[in-house]
Amino acid sequence: MIQVEALTKLYGEFVAVNELSFAVQPGEVMGLVGPNGAGKTTTLRCLAGIIPPTRGAIRICGHDLAGAPIPAKRQLAFFTDEPRLFDYLTVQQHLAFTARIYQVANYEPVAAQLLDELELTPKKDALPGELSRGMKQKLVIACGLLHSPNVIYFDEPLTGLDPLGIRRMKDSILKRAQAGAAIIISSHLLHLVEEICSRILILKNGRKIIDGTLDEITRRFSEQTTEANLEEVFFRATGEKEEGSVES
Amino acid sequence: MLSALLYLQFHSLKNRLLMRFKRLKQPKYLLGGIVGALYFYFYFFRYLFGLHHPGPALPSAASPADLSLYESLGALVLLVVVSVAWLVPRERAALAFTEAEVAILFPAPLSRRGLIHFKLFRSQAAIFFTTLFLLLITSRRGGHAWIHALGLWLILSTLNLHFLASSFARTMLLDRGITTWRRRLAILALLFASAGLVLLWALRTLPHPDFSGFDPSQPLEPQLQTLKSYGHQILVSGPLPWLLFPFRIAVHPYLAPDAPAFLRALLPALLLLALHYIWVIRSNVAFEEASVEASRKIADKVAALRAGNWRAAGKQLKVKRAPFTLRSSGSPAVAFFWKNLISAGQAFTVRTWLIIASAGLIFCFALARTVDTTGLPTLAGMFAGMLLIWSLLVGPQLLRQDLRQDLLHAEILKTYPLPGWQLVLGELLAPAAILSAIQWFLLLLAVAMLSGSSGPGPTGPAIIAPGIGAAFILPMLNLLTLQIPNAAVLLFPAWFRLGKEGAQGIEATGQRIISMFGQLLAFIVALIPAAAAFAIVFFPVRMFLGLNPALLLACLAAAIVLAAEAAAGLLLLGWLFERFDVSVELAP
Repeated sequence: MIQVEALTKLYGEFVAVNELSFAVQPGEVMGLVGPNGAGKTTTLRCLAGIIPPTRGAIRICGHDLAGAPIPAKRQLAFFTDEPRLFDYLTVQQHLAFTARIYQVANYEPVAAQLLDELELTPKKDALPGELSRGMKQKLVIACGLLHSPNVIYFDEPLTGLDPLGIRRMKDSILKRAQAGAAIIISSHLLHLVEEICSRILILKNGRKIIDGTLDEITRRFSEQTTEANLEEVFFRATGEKEEGSVES
Repeated sequence: MLSALLYLQFHSLKNRLLMRFKRLKQPKYLLGGIVGALYFYFYFFRYLFGLHHPGPALPSAASPADLSLYESLGALVLLVVVSVAWLVPRERAALAFTEAEVAILFPAPLSRRGLIHFKLFRSQAAIFFTTLFLLLITSRRGGHAWIHALGLWLILSTLNLHFLASSFARTMLLDRGITTWRRRLAILALLFASAGLVLLWALRTLPHPDFSGFDPSQPLEPQLQTLKSYGHQILVSGPLPWLLFPFRIAVHPYLAPDAPAFLRALLPALLLLALHYIWVIRSNVAFEEASVEASRKIADKVAALRAGNWRAAGKQLKVKRAPFTLRSSGSPAVAFFWKNLISAGQAFTVRTWLIIASAGLIFCFALARTVDTTGLPTLAGMFAGMLLIWSLLVGPQLLRQDLRQDLLHAEILKTYPLPGWQLVLGELLAPAAILSAIQWFLLLLAVAMLSGSSGPGPTGPAIIAPGIGAAFILPMLNLLTLQIPNAAVLLFPAWFRLGKEGAQGIEATGQRIISMFGQLLAFIVALIPAAAAFAIVFFPVRMFLGLNPALLLACLAAAIVLAAEAAAGLLLLGWLFERFDVSVELAP
């Protein structure tokens, strides 16, 4: 569903992403993790068609994102960490606008269901300025899921959500994956990644360190035969050391 | 504490300037900087540094009586400004801090007095630049620049302290149960009492102005001179100069004709400044909570300005009714049209415009019938025509519900499954439609007034035919002219980022000059093919069918050519949007 080959993004001489290749199949949830400045957000922006890659190929559901961006973008949705909304459109108007952009026929029942699931129905006539950050995030999610995307990218999806919202978000992600969507989640919350991702890709300095299931990368980077959690594996894989820790 | 604040101010200013200089490494921004610098030099700096002498200065060329008059006038202006500061605001005192300052300074071991000093110190930077700007303008009239500079600084600093002190005083009154309206009534009573005193003195003391020779058919100059003289006497004698005494102290140094006069005026002004400072420092008012809220509102406004949403930056946004029901099927460009019409507000609904057009037509016909002999309809028609022409150039600058507004949403826009040209078309439809509606209304007025007038020049069908032709041309022309500023946004996005870090300074002025000439040039160039098509159709058709059909058909031909140009422009803009890299162009 998502195929990335030799993705490279350069800013002058600075290499933000370097020859990144991976694939995500329908039903898979891939966790994209790495230290700050590893290139996670740049990678997701290239995959969403927001910024052009310097080199490489990206295919979304068989469509080349560079050569056929329209059919590719019809299949995908990208949820950024910071909700971006139009200040002067109400919740309801945002959904109407999105439905027209994505040509979602008979969107009203789907929109109503999404608003209900995300507890936004009482706020359907409110402007973004009247919503809390978590509600804005939910509105962005409602808009993104309206056209039933087959490919979904999340950049720090739990930021600003209350505990119930977090639980529902996790359930929603798993539900979409079970329905056949290919999902990439970028997050620093390794326990979240561990909980819901079937595969993990670790980036550092724009390069892929490893890409595989949690078991595979644990076997590769764990120094012990007993199970190690993703956090320990992450530190070993990226060579990051916690200051003041006692060496065992 | 002072050293920390000086450090903050110095490095903030230095880094801000460095950022702007770094941007000048790109040729497209360097050009704006050069043009802006040249403009400032030729228009301001050469007068400031004495390289060009425009003539005698205002203060030194004026007599002492005139100086006294100017002083009273200046004092009167200050009185109005200060009165507004006491009358209008109703909120509690809130010092304007940024969110970063609130987050760092408020929890820091700084006293309330320390925070006030920080605010006063920071406002001196703004006062310095304002003084410099005003000095650049006023120095074109010559005179001692240093006297003007110090005089302006004294006025602005005193006003700044007064605004702060008055906000503290208002808060103290609120804390003591004196409501906003009671305060306003008290201030108004004081102002009216003072005005009454001055009026009473004038009526009892001054000879009444003589208007017995007033003849409406004669020039009004003698009567205006009488009024001016009467006003002069009120301003320089009687109770008014005494009532304005504190304000005159503030203004006096600015109007000093030479150094000795300035030094004589300086001491009272500095004393006034010091008294205000003591007033501010000794006010014990809790401003923190209101300041936190104010800083959040400022941050929201700046974010809105950066996004190009001037309306959101101005006042609280209200829910606006959609202009029509947006279906989920059909051209996606219509979705942007719908969205941007909502952004433009309720003034631009079809119903509103139908009402305005009907009322306008009724008014025009009534005017044409009743006052046909005075030439008023012709004048009204010509005025409408002039406004229409003016709107062709200025309209695209004022109506910004397009990419200029959605610039910082480029990240969302890039994810939409639309080809670039379709997205750009959608963005331009709303301002083009609004501008066309306004112009059609003006065209209707002009044609209605001019076609029915009995004055010299063409009338009747000779006006109506080109009017109908113009109605075809205008929407295409608007679609074309709107593409120019939107192309500029895509090519030079940093020029269009507003707010504190955005389009300010010399390079921003240069950018505006370049944009203005660029738009004019593009407008003229775009008209050439249309003018050629007009001519090609007009002359042959006129020979066979007459003037009016020729005008109509020629306008239609010109409209078709303009539509083709607009289509080509859309494809180009669409291509520019598709290759727009948000991570480079919109990087902070």
